[in-house]
Amino acid sequence: MIAVVFNLSLLNGFQKQGTRNMVNTDAAGGHYVVPGFDLLDPTQWEDSTQPAPVSLKRLPPSDKAEILVLQGQIFPNNRLYPVQLRGVEIDQELLTLPLQGLKSKPSKVSDVIPVVIGLKMARKAKLKKGDSVILKWRDGFGAVDALDAEVVDVADFLNPRIDEGIIWMRLDHLRQITSRPGEVSWVAVRDHLGSVAEMEFRSVDELMADLLTLLKHDRRNAFILWCILMFLAGTSVFNTQILNVFKRQKEIGTLMALGMNAARIEKLFVLEGGLASLGAVLAAFVIGVPLFMWFQQTGLDISHLKESTIPVYESIRLDVRPREVAASLCVIVGIMVFIAWLPVRKISRLDPALALRGKAIQ
Amino acid sequence: MKFSNPRSTSGEVKSFFAIFALVLLGAFGQGAFAQDIDPDELLRRVDDNLWSQTKIIEGRLIVDNGRRERTLQMQTWMEGVERSYSVYLNPPRERGVKMLKARSKLWMYTPRTDRKILIAGHMLRQSMMGSDLSYEDMMEDKMLSRNYKSSVEKFEEFEGVPCVVLLLTANDKTTTYQSRKLWIDPEKKTVLMEEMYAKSGKLLKNVHFKDYRPTGDRLFPKKMIFRDLLKENTKTTYEYDSIEFDAEIPAKYFSQSILKR
Repeated sequence: MIAVVFNLSLLNGFQKQGTRNMVNTDAAGGHYVVPGFDLLDPTQWEDSTQPAPVSLKRLPPSDKAEILVLQGQIFPNNRLYPVQLRGVEIDQELLTLPLQGLKSKPSKVSDVIPVVIGLKMARKAKLKKGDSVILKWRDGFGAVDALDAEVVDVADFLNPRIDEGIIWMRLDHLRQITSRPGEVSWVAVRDHLGSVAEMEFRSVDELMADLLTLLKHDRRNAFILWCILMFLAGTSVFNTQILNVFKRQKEIGTLMALGMNAARIEKLFVLEGGLASLGAVLAAFVIGVPLFMWFQQTGLDISHLKESTIPVYESIRLDVRPREVAASLCVIVGIMVFIAWLPVRKISRLDPALALRGKAIQ
Repeated sequence: MKFSNPRSTSGEVKSFFAIFALVLLGAFGQGAFAQDIDPDELLRRVDDNLWSQTKIIEGRLIVDNGRRERTLQMQTWMEGVERSYSVYLNPPRERGVKMLKARSKLWMYTPRTDRKILIAGHMLRQSMMGSDLSYEDMMEDKMLSRNYKSSVEKFEEFEGVPCVVLLLTANDKTTTYQSRKLWIDPEKKTVLMEEMYAKSGKLLKNVHFKDYRPTGDRLFPKKMIFRDLLKENTKTTYEYDSIEFDAEIPAKYFSQSILKR
């Protein structure tokens, strides 16, 4: 019981934290993207930009963040490193991004472009705060251009998807250096605003479809584990009941001799089994609550996921959902009662005289 | 009391005038030389030497990434700026790889998979086989005099040859390199060195043209050494073994049907 609820709650916690990180740092309430834009196809990024629609531009900074994504290359230590140039509106308040280092910079690019990178990106490209690196890109007309970029900050983005391979800069800077005034790749919004001309909406679920698929597979695996646990518990209850009937033949014979019919005796035994499972629920509650409370303090360390693209690497806490716990309890108790009833059906076939002598079941 | 020596003053004055005269001569002489040179005409003559409507080249691309050197032998058929077809002949690993460029699209055929892959326009800007050249650099053959405005920047010796340095500025915003510099031998109308610049003015690549050989009525460099100056210790040498200008190239060479075994 404890294992089943723990497993379910752990998966819930993982999904909740993953969703929260994705929503806070990237997805918000969904994206209005330029039709055909595919983040996984860098060769198409330059063709998938357009001016942001007026209806989205009018939204306050707390409700939208304009984003422009383009290809670029940096040359740390004279090595080529392909990067994604991601420009974000510096005044936006919708996404939680550690870009304070860019806020104080003038809106016009000088000879050096200020940029922010994530911890993972800094480690892979061997860059640190204050380093300068050559940045090369193509402008909107196709001409090649390059300038020095200064890493003004190395920040923890919490979400690896917006860290590795990404150079963060002010949107006005990126638009300026690529001669793409007013253009965006997508606009992140707080809420879905219905259809917007020349943009298509992608919901949070669509934006994190891969993570949800992963969790779906995890839940399927959890169900298999649940089935195994149920089988073990059921076998144990079944054996106990068989032993009960065998050992208590004389008691059953006596009850029959006193006038109790087989059906009532069966009910009595099933009631005993049911009460035992309720006792198990109580025991699970007594052991489980302190265990869960302790776990909520420490969490499950999944820092190894830093190297993956899963947007969670802080410790996982349980997300216990009462409805889910109640449903699990009902199912488990129901199954246990059913399994407790199966072996006691034999009682209806017992001969009371033999049962009294303890020889009804050989 | 100190007296000046009249003879010595006269000598100083003479040498001052001599230096002044030399400076003037240098400035006006160079100016006069510069006036003799029409940069646009010079660039046209350079293009006449290097450019032709069609070319068939067999050569080797030697890619040196600073750690190891790879040699790719290839044969290329080029028509204008938009159509080009190459077949790799060596090393065995790359043998039979074919590349067809038509307009802004590039198809690559690999015999191992027996499939042709369409590479989108932006892939043309990526490094070709790890070299210092992009696919665009390798397969395009634009006439500089048509795409750039030129002006004389200076005169200087390059590898012992007195050269005129032309600064080229792109006519069109879509031109990949918005400015270039050419070191041209004005006598032979040959380019000895070329530098390619980013829009911001940052130097990106240079090309050394070496071993000019008479080829028909032209002088054509046997060897071109490309360096991506943003990378460290890398260079790519393109050396041709045979070249044919203005040759008849059948249309099938630029058709997708050629991309098969």
